[in-house]
Amino acid sequence: MKTQEAINTFVKETGGWVAAQLEACTRCGMCAEACHFYQATGNPEYAPVWKLELLRRAYEQRFTISGKARLALGIDKPITDADLTHWSTLLYEACTLCNKCSMVCPMGIDIGPLLHNVRSALSEAEVVPLELMAAVNKQVTEGSPLGVTDSVWDDRMEWVADEWEVELPIDVKGADMLVVFSSIEIMKFPENISAIAKILNKAGEKWTLSRQGREVVNFGFYEGSEKRTKLFMQRVFDAAKALGVKRVLVTECGHAYDALRWTAANIMDVPAGLEVIHIAGLIGDYVRSGRIKLKPGAYDNDGTITFHDACKIQRRGGHIKEPREVLNILAPHAFKEMTPNKEEAICCGGGGGVIAIKAADPQRYAVFQLKIDQMKKVGAKTVAMTCSNCRLQFTDSVKHFNVDVKIAGLSQMVADALED
Amino acid sequence: MDWNAILEFARGTFFQVALLVFVAGMVYRLARILLLGWKPNRVTAKGSRLGGVGMSFLKGAIIWPFIPWVKNTASRNPVIYIAGGIFHFGLFTVILLGTAHMLVWKSLLGFGWPTLPLPIVDWLSAIAIAAMIGLFINRLINPVLKLISGPAEWLNLLIVFLPMVTGYIMTHHLFFRYEVLFSLHMLAVDVLLIWIPLSRISHFMFYFFSKAIHGAEFGKRAVTP
Amino acid sequence: MTEPTIYQHLLDQGLSRREFLKLCGVLAGAMGLRCAAPVLASGLPAHLVNDNASAAEAVAQALESKPRLPVIWLEFQDCAGCSEALTRSQSPTLVDLVLNKISIEYHETLSAAAGFQIEENKQAIMKKYAGKYALVIEGAIPVADDGIYCTIGGRSSLDLLKEAAAGAAAIIATGNCATFGGLPKANPNPTGAKGVWEIITDKPVVNIPGCPAIPEVFTGVLAHFLVFGALPELDHLNRPKTFYAETIHDRCLRRPFYEAGKFANTFDDEGARQGWCLYKLGCKGPTTYNSCATIKWQAGLSFPVQSGHPCLGCSEPNFWDGGGFYQGQSAPVIRPALAGVGVAAIAGVVLGAGVAAANRAQKPRDAEKPVAAQQNSAAKE
Repeated sequence: MKTQEAINTFVKETGGWVAAQLEACTRCGMCAEACHFYQATGNPEYAPVWKLELLRRAYEQRFTISGKARLALGIDKPITDADLTHWSTLLYEACTLCNKCSMVCPMGIDIGPLLHNVRSALSEAEVVPLELMAAVNKQVTEGSPLGVTDSVWDDRMEWVADEWEVELPIDVKGADMLVVFSSIEIMKFPENISAIAKILNKAGEKWTLSRQGREVVNFGFYEGSEKRTKLFMQRVFDAAKALGVKRVLVTECGHAYDALRWTAANIMDVPAGLEVIHIAGLIGDYVRSGRIKLKPGAYDNDGTITFHDACKIQRRGGHIKEPREVLNILAPHAFKEMTPNKEEAICCGGGGGVIAIKAADPQRYAVFQLKIDQMKKVGAKTVAMTCSNCRLQFTDSVKHFNVDVKIAGLSQMVADALED
Repeated sequence: MDWNAILEFARGTFFQVALLVFVAGMVYRLARILLLGWKPNRVTAKGSRLGGVGMSFLKGAIIWPFIPWVKNTASRNPVIYIAGGIFHFGLFTVILLGTAHMLVWKSLLGFGWPTLPLPIVDWLSAIAIAAMIGLFINRLINPVLKLISGPAEWLNLLIVFLPMVTGYIMTHHLFFRYEVLFSLHMLAVDVLLIWIPLSRISHFMFYFFSKAIHGAEFGKRAVTP
Repeated sequence: MTEPTIYQHLLDQGLSRREFLKLCGVLAGAMGLRCAAPVLASGLPAHLVNDNASAAEAVAQALESKPRLPVIWLEFQDCAGCSEALTRSQSPTLVDLVLNKISIEYHETLSAAAGFQIEENKQAIMKKYAGKYALVIEGAIPVADDGIYCTIGGRSSLDLLKEAAAGAAAIIATGNCATFGGLPKANPNPTGAKGVWEIITDKPVVNIPGCPAIPEVFTGVLAHFLVFGALPELDHLNRPKTFYAETIHDRCLRRPFYEAGKFANTFDDEGARQGWCLYKLGCKGPTTYNSCATIKWQAGLSFPVQSGHPCLGCSEPNFWDGGGFYQGQSAPVIRPALAGVGVAAIAGVVLGAGVAAANRAQKPRDAEKPVAAQQNSAAKE
């Protein structure tokens, strides 16, 4: 273990904005009330403020006079290997980086990014849970955490094109838009690929897939490693550059959108003029501009439909209005909101790589109870969402708890309700 | 013991020293943060960052008194939510609109303003003290707060509590002579002034940083902060 | 030859026994009950002041058996205001009475004699009544540079005080200057002015602070010494507890307005006209111990707060340096100079910048560079 590496990472990442927010914390503990892991389990260690403890200690011990004095006097203890191991379980197994905590912080501290900093330090110290690390390594070597190698990808795409009879343009130079799917969609929700293809074709978009940049998922971002986060994004940007596209479309994947759209430019060079967009926003644009037409009320007769806000696409992505506009066309009567919703929504509990870690299962399922309660309250028969990771968690947990709810990707609902 | 001499010290030299320590300490902390290096944002914004900042402060100002239920903390932990709010409201009203306190501001700033009648200020301070006791009890029993509270947190509570309670007793002329309580009140205030830059009570300054950062981050993403 | 008793002295002046006893009651009231003098003067029925009966008897006994008390009155750094107040006191019966029962042997302002004559007289009295006379001091004593800042007949006040104090039975310091240094001691105190009790530590010194001291308080204390041959009970500042146990605020007639939060904001606003509390105009009543609010001045006519002026706290030590007279008492005594605040702020900036620089030096150099530069250096590796 490299404890010193972790501390160095804390030091490196603690700019003025981090320090100012750490100083602002009054230790009021309100953030705990926002954390679904704390709500579901009652474990006080899951309080976001406690998860930040390592960052705070490193900051005070390295950057402040009183912290240095307390360390020298033995009042504060230095960060140890055991601390890192312990906080590794808190950060990776009981936190989805959903940033709901920042919504309740009376001081308005943007806690999510700070938690990401802690993960970065843990990843530098190499105390990332084994399963997550295995997936990261797989993405480094094979290009995909789920083992979608070149040949697997080729087979899969061919099969999707055949199965749903859609045209999948691959490596088309001069296309306007590069579409990058996630491994989860490729392996678990292939119907999403056909659905998105159908929508794009319907809208007359000049789009393409790329064999080089075929994986949008960014397990380096889950892990918190800046190096690998950049590496995986570089693959996508290189592909975009090679094909000369103007836009990169992130499909139903939340973390990837956060990385490519909201993080990339601050940690690496993004090809000039390249725009990163999300399918949820794109569908909204198409519908508004009339490039695709939806059958009004197509889903009005299948019971109540509700919408799950993904942390990275809605709260931290900004695509809150579009899915609701679409659902209000598709199911004007059946669509009902859960509470809380939109930017205040409760996270699915599987994001941030949590679902990849077996040891996190108990709290992952415990957290999902909150979602079940929400869905039950509105009497939902179907729950729509725009994130495959959420969808994976929903599908798995609904089965685990044997709840009678249909899980649907929004793109797929749209594709199935396209007006000819 | 001549309490008038102690009072003169607490109102005079000690207050002067405490005030200068307070100024130097707060400026020190501000400079240390501001000069630590700030990365510029290079991400293309979807919404208005400035709008987000404005919204963030606006929400901070209006949610607590007017629409508390939009925060699920209000329902999940009402004690900390209501007591925390009342404490701050009471504290600032008393400090700014209490006659004796306004005179302090007047002597420091050179101008004064109308104040509230004593009975109102008195009730507010009583409520604020009660709220503070509520927060103290909450910190004693809430599992999260028990976990994250160290000596500094308990000291914070004590050092803020003392000026409030001595001030309250003083206005009511209870237990001790006026100048004894006045001295204790001033000594407590002086200690508080020195303690603020050493502790998290300084959050009132960093509030403006964190709220702005939060607002800008959300505004950038076109999400209501 | 024995000295004639006070009683004989009074009978010589044509006082009847009946009048004598009445005066004894008044005197007892002045010593013991702060309200007695005005009450008796107003002719209240006797049963209301009945508590004084035994005290009056004790006074009568003392006056019948004791000779007049010789008093030496020294003035140093003073304005003679305390003497003025005493002589012009509007309770003439009381003051005359006391002046009749004491004999002021030396007083620079009042004595008819002057120059060498009176100095010689003083020496004679001090010798004749050694250990028996009462010494009254009015004014502060400058001790800097061997006390040269106040000399009388070529001798420093410090010297004169020590000489007179040596043979005194009791010392009474009257007025804020003699007690706590008063105006001469105010910052920066160039003459090193001090109160009597700071200099004379081997003799009992009674402090009667005030600017000036309330005449009735002074006469009350002197009467007490005269009657009982001892000084009254004193508090920690050597003030007679009878007169200095409560603050102006405690007994203030405007107190209800304070409690109700009704304050005059200026000297001519509606609040001032309505007689509201003067706290915001700088009243020091809450911390000022004196009897102004009860004995009052001009025979109980009024006192500063009653007549619309905030209490200056003139009977408290260092009242000249206790913040502005018209500045609310809660305000800090010293308004921090802008320069001081500036220095503090600069110190904060310097320290903060230093620590910030040290903190930045801890970071790897790449973290400080713009992204493009990082990429280049990464590529080189």
